Amino acid sequence: MESSQLALLTLLVPLASAAVIALFLRRAGVVASYLSTAAAAVVAVTALMLAFGGHRFDASAEWFTFGDFTLSLGFKFDDLAALMLTIVGVVGFCVHLFSLGYMHDDQDKARFFGGLSVFMFSMIGIVLADNLFMMFIFWELVGFSSYLLINHYCLKASAADAAKKAFIVNRVGDFGFLIGILMCYWHYGTVDLNQLPDVIAGGAMMSIAIPLLLFCGAMGKSAQMPLHVWLPDAMEGPTPVSALIHAATMVAAGIYMLCRIEVLMVADALNVIMWVGTITAVYAALCAIVQSDIKKVLAYSTLSQLGYMVAAFGLGSLVVEHDGNEVLIAAGVGAAMFHLTTHAFFKALLFLGSGSVIHGCHHEQNIFKMGGLLKKMPVTAITMLVGVLAISGLPFLSGFYSKDSILHLAQEKNTIVFGLLVFTAVVTSFYMVRMWRITFMGETQSDTAAKAHEGGLSMTLPLVVLAILSIVGGYTDSYGHGLIYSGAFADVWSQIPHAHGVGVFIMSIAILVVGAGLAFALYKPGPSDGLATKMPAAFIGLTALKDSFDKGYNYYVAKVQDRFAMLLNFLEQILLAGLIIRGLAGIVGLFGLGARALHVGSLHAYVYWFLLGAVLLWAFAGGLF
Amino acid sequence: MADILFYIFAAMTIGSSVAVVINPNAVNSALAFLVGLLGVSGLFVLLDSFLLAVLMILVYAGAVVALFLFIIMLLDMQGGERKPFSRPTAVAGFIGAALLAVCATSLLKGLGGLESAEAVSAIGVGANLKHYADQLFTTYLLPVQVVGFLLLIAMLGVIVLSKKFEGLEDIK
Amino acid sequence: MTVGLTEYLTVAVVLFVIGFVGVLIRKNTLVIYMCLELMLVASTIAFVAFSRFNGTMDGNVFVFFILTVAAAEVAVGLAIIVALFRRRQTVQVEELNALKN
Repeated sequence: MESSQLALLTLLVPLASAAVIALFLRRAGVVASYLSTAAAAVVAVTALMLAFGGHRFDASAEWFTFGDFTLSLGFKFDDLAALMLTIVGVVGFCVHLFSLGYMHDDQDKARFFGGLSVFMFSMIGIVLADNLFMMFIFWELVGFSSYLLINHYCLKASAADAAKKAFIVNRVGDFGFLIGILMCYWHYGTVDLNQLPDVIAGGAMMSIAIPLLLFCGAMGKSAQMPLHVWLPDAMEGPTPVSALIHAATMVAAGIYMLCRIEVLMVADALNVIMWVGTITAVYAALCAIVQSDIKKVLAYSTLSQLGYMVAAFGLGSLVVEHDGNEVLIAAGVGAAMFHLTTHAFFKALLFLGSGSVIHGCHHEQNIFKMGGLLKKMPVTAITMLVGVLAISGLPFLSGFYSKDSILHLAQEKNTIVFGLLVFTAVVTSFYMVRMWRITFMGETQSDTAAKAHEGGLSMTLPLVVLAILSIVGGYTDSYGHGLIYSGAFADVWSQIPHAHGVGVFIMSIAILVVGAGLAFALYKPGPSDGLATKMPAAFIGLTALKDSFDKGYNYYVAKVQDRFAMLLNFLEQILLAGLIIRGLAGIVGLFGLGARALHVGSLHAYVYWFLLGAVLLWAFAGGLF
Repeated sequence: MADILFYIFAAMTIGSSVAVVINPNAVNSALAFLVGLLGVSGLFVLLDSFLLAVLMILVYAGAVVALFLFIIMLLDMQGGERKPFSRPTAVAGFIGAALLAVCATSLLKGLGGLESAEAVSAIGVGANLKHYADQLFTTYLLPVQVVGFLLLIAMLGVIVLSKKFEGLEDIK
Repeated sequence: MTVGLTEYLTVAVVLFVIGFVGVLIRKNTLVIYMCLELMLVASTIAFVAFSRFNGTMDGNVFVFFILTVAAAEVAVGLAIIVALFRRRQTVQVEELNALKN
């Protein structure tokens, strides 16, 4: 089968599955779940075939034309797309498999799996897109499927609110994104990702507004400040949804898009991006310390890691002194994508593990009501430990390599950012170890935890697979262990900055020890938060930090936006409804009244009117006026 | 001689039409109308349209006025009106008439009709029957057919209208 | 003075105006109708006069049609008046005011 046909198959199989579920399988949840999982399996297989079979191609078909403007749909399948597709396929399949067990007792399974299929379709569309318009179309589709899936427990008011919040905040970002695309088209004459490098190399003038506007879209989708408020609330959706969409793939779409439009970047824009990412990383890490819901901890952790990726991209091009010459490496893309890959593996693992815990404890999500699960759910505990160590940067796990590259990049470029990122790394290991310790060690704190048990094979198998990937996923070619990726993603991996010397190695171990040690010291498994009891001021301060953004937005909407809306309503009542609409009706009514006055019922009156008309006509004919 | 005849006939026509308007009795008005038609017929003779003069008497005076009288008698009005018109009505009517006269005169003046008063006799085409027939059956053939059709429709209309409509509620 | 086109047209105009005044003033529907016919007659005089003084036959022939149409119109109009009388028992125009307001 030809490459483009294979890619088309990958794109359309989930769409077909979603269509079949929507049309025929609304009530048959079990069949729907198997169908969707089978579709995900097909996608995973074809993705691996495309990635490791050496297919790299571009294909495009024209959709419609408006004079000079042509909108085409096409595939740009280079190493970057191949890497992203592999992630989406593998992690997607693991999540589908997990959902078979997790959603087993749910009544609305069919809707859930339909939504998952729609999401797979949209996400693959973003990955394969070769021009910005097509990417925008699928961007919106992904936002829609996220809304659909967050709102799965649609009878809960909080779920509906969270879905609305996610969609609206995304929309704000998409507004900037759309303006950026239009400006790009206007400025460069094309939005085709294949043609843009040629246009820029041909000496087109670069503008700073375009990359920043396009970054707005990434801010919305990847939940950077100030549009990050939707991600913690999005945890209202079922855990597999959080794993797939809000950890591994959709939120990573923003990073992917940034890597795609790398040619449009200018130094000032990269600076802004770097700072936004860094601040997000720090803020989210601090907020994660005081969360008591296991999923919220992971949500803030995701926010923080996304900040890392964005900061890595913003740290951009690296000029390195190498044997006396300056070597320019465009390392931002490499580092960001590397961290995206490893993050996808271990964050999905962590979320699915938490799902297993929640499922085992019969939908209990507060970590202070758990505890002692190490003996009851060993597989989950061990795999989650792997995930925690990966995210904390234990050497020789995947997270270590990707974080290492980012920290190295920061060290070379900007010391302040480097310091902040190191601090964030410490805090990351701090709260992750806190979460793991309170959840799995010590004594059980409640009855539901006492009855905990492992899920079936469908839930544990994905955990094991993802744990293995979290360990080996970091062995890219540049580190000499070329067996995992076997040269498939050379273009991307070649851009990862290598650290020189053992300095970073030692620093990583130091980070891990400091963070984990502090966590062990401060938190003991128990019903209450250790920080709250020992350092209450810090606890309250951090909780306020978390709430500040929501409060700010509420204030803005209530005071500013509502007042503006009322003003517009007032104007509309007076001008539109009153003056124009009723005014026009009134004029017609006046005419009617006048015409009515003519109907007196007397023949003579009519004749007089006739006479008047005749006189006027004659005067007109006689040239009087 | 022709001039004197013209004035006589003109006076007859105008006088009797005034009588039509003023007379309170409807039958009197109809008979005055008849006399006026005779005057008009005379005028037509003076204009050399002999056929038309005869037709006026035959059709108008013979059929139309007869029909009018017939209906007036049928409807059997109670002795006519005491006052055919009240003061204000008369004044208004007079003003209206004056207006109309002025307008008509100005129109005719503008068309150049009232200026040239020339040769009455020079243009004697002699409108006799042959000329009528020529025109009617060649140039004006279509209007003839249409008018025939119109008469048919009128007849049908009259027949329909004279039926008694049962089942309609009173309009008042 | 010789009688020319002007005189004939004056007669026609005067007749027309008298007919019009009659329509305005009279209250009896039938008399109003008669005044309408008077107006028609005035227009026929004008037609024939013009035709005569221009030397064509067109005006004369047209009067033919006017005559025919007037006859048909009278027939139908009187039928309507009779039907109205049957319904309203009156032909005074002031009492035929059902279209008022």
